Amino acid sequence: MKILIPLKQVPDSTVRVKVAPDGKAIVTEGITWSISPYDEYAIEMALERKDADASTVVAVVTVGPARSRDALRQALAMGCDEASLVTADAAAPLAVARALAKVVEETKPDLVLCGKQASDDDQGFVGPALAEILGWPHVATITKVVPVEGGVELWREVEGGHEVWKAPLPGLATVHKSEKEPRYPSLPGIMKAKKKEIPERALAAMGVDASGPTWTILSMEPPPARGGGKILKDGDTKQIAEQLATALRDEAKVL
Amino acid sequence: MNPFVGGTERELAGAVANWAKGLTERIPAAEKQGAMPPDVIADLGRLGVLGMTIPEADGGLGASTVAFALVLEELSAAWPSLAVGVAVNSGIVASSIVRYATPDQRARWLPKLADGMGLGAFALTEPTSGSDAASLRTTARPDGDGWRIDGRKQFITNARYAPFAIVLARIGEFDPKRTSAGITAFVVPLDAPGVSIGPSERKLGLRASDTSALILEGARVDRDAVLGDTGKGFTIAMAGLDGGRIGIAAQSVGIARASLAIAKTYAKERKQFGRPIADFEGLRFSIAKAESDIAAARLLALRAAWLRDRGRPFTREAAMAKLYASEMAQRATHAAVQILGGNGYMRDYAVERYARDGRATTIYEGTSEIQRVVIARSLLAA
Repeated sequence: MKILIPLKQVPDSTVRVKVAPDGKAIVTEGITWSISPYDEYAIEMALERKDADASTVVAVVTVGPARSRDALRQALAMGCDEASLVTADAAAPLAVARALAKVVEETKPDLVLCGKQASDDDQGFVGPALAEILGWPHVATITKVVPVEGGVELWREVEGGHEVWKAPLPGLATVHKSEKEPRYPSLPGIMKAKKKEIPERALAAMGVDASGPTWTILSMEPPPARGGGKILKDGDTKQIAEQLATALRDEAKVL
Repeated sequence: MNPFVGGTERELAGAVANWAKGLTERIPAAEKQGAMPPDVIADLGRLGVLGMTIPEADGGLGASTVAFALVLEELSAAWPSLAVGVAVNSGIVASSIVRYATPDQRARWLPKLADGMGLGAFALTEPTSGSDAASLRTTARPDGDGWRIDGRKQFITNARYAPFAIVLARIGEFDPKRTSAGITAFVVPLDAPGVSIGPSERKLGLRASDTSALILEGARVDRDAVLGDTGKGFTIAMAGLDGGRIGIAAQSVGIARASLAIAKTYAKERKQFGRPIADFEGLRFSIAKAESDIAAARLLALRAAWLRDRGRPFTREAAMAKLYASEMAQRATHAAVQILGGNGYMRDYAVERYARDGRATTIYEGTSEIQRVVIARSLLAA
């Protein structure tokens, strides 16, 4: 089975995000970039398939600026077999999905696993859009994939249990979480990844329709600083409990 | 930036540092219990850390000494007890086998240092021979087509986890005029008949690392257990210690760095007299001095590693690095405890543990006094 994971490079979750002076972007200078966490889960899920069946081929692709190459390298170091880069400094989400559809048509994976959303803009757009363009079946937010006769079983967490969907291949699923935490790249994995070629091409040269709805950031601001707390100390325990209940109902309006 | 370090070396160390972040929550319980969780060692095997110093041709990573020093710094910063086990396994034990073993011995023993099932041990010290290592009393006598080894080895790191130990024993009588004569290195599987392990030592620090006696009572090994030439064991041990000292220097840097990092954070948050204690010059100077000390020690360690990677002499440089870095670690870890004040003395903050763990660095792989002997000997040779 061949599994393709379209991934996105995003600011690392440990980065303290600062808004740029123009108020329309974040400061990206000097920050650490990583593979978006849900994409990491998708990679781990695919690599678990490869652990179970060594004939599995795991490929990754990204559409993004040149620095995204590091994220692909990281995926190779984790154990993915192939990687390719489509460069674009900025692209409308639909154009990204169209470019990925072209990559899918060329590389012919049996299964495409996308992170359910990227952790930077949280749109969750590309996965379902890609399935729609390809005309493939699509199951969202899965936690497990099991190969079965005639396709795959895709597990989703629902209130109090699991839903199990059976899908034919080729198909696409977006990943909520893998069974295990994403693996750390091994040192030999890092060395091997350095030797692998990562073919690169420009989105603009792919003949992809770049039209379609997009969005513009009008302004960005950090969440308001948290105000000081309130300490209830007058009265006995019962009185304080009453004051607390009143405050939660009338001031915090959570009751 | 650092002139001795390349991008790949930094990348490997970064990957280990990333992994090691996940250890934090497990440390208190393991230190209390006095044992390294086997799955942590297994993880290091899987990540390729344990085999990083083994050449590619032998199935390892063939990483540089510089890369290994950086990795040891990261592991020490995260968990000193783990770092010391790796330093011995992948440092002195692996390098002795790589340098002196026959192809058969390499194929047999090197995979056991890399597979994550255990950590190798190096058995030189005895109850009556520490700094005067050449006065060791363990004996080896020909016995049929193999050897019989008798003696007691003390303070052996990793003894409980080791698949095998490199044991230094003397063939023939002790000659007070040529004390190192007859000393031979043997590779002794710890399941060999006549080998047993004494109780785990109770230590000031590094409690999750194992330090035990290795008892050899008529221990029986095959003829091919000899590492290198018979009678050349002391040279093997001294060469091993040269490299090992780079590892201890790196370890000292990691311990000092991690301890000071806690102190810096604390100093910015803790308020006294209405402002953060980081505003007070006494503490600012203490932090500035410790950080400069750490940077100097790191450069000394990496210089020695860089020389070793280029096949140049590095005995003096390794001894200098070990001496300076280990002494520095005492100052830095104590400064960190002082900055945290009463909290620094409590177990809730890790600085007390780093101070205890760091104390070993001026002692093992040659005390500070022995480093000075080594350095002076090379400076003042006729």
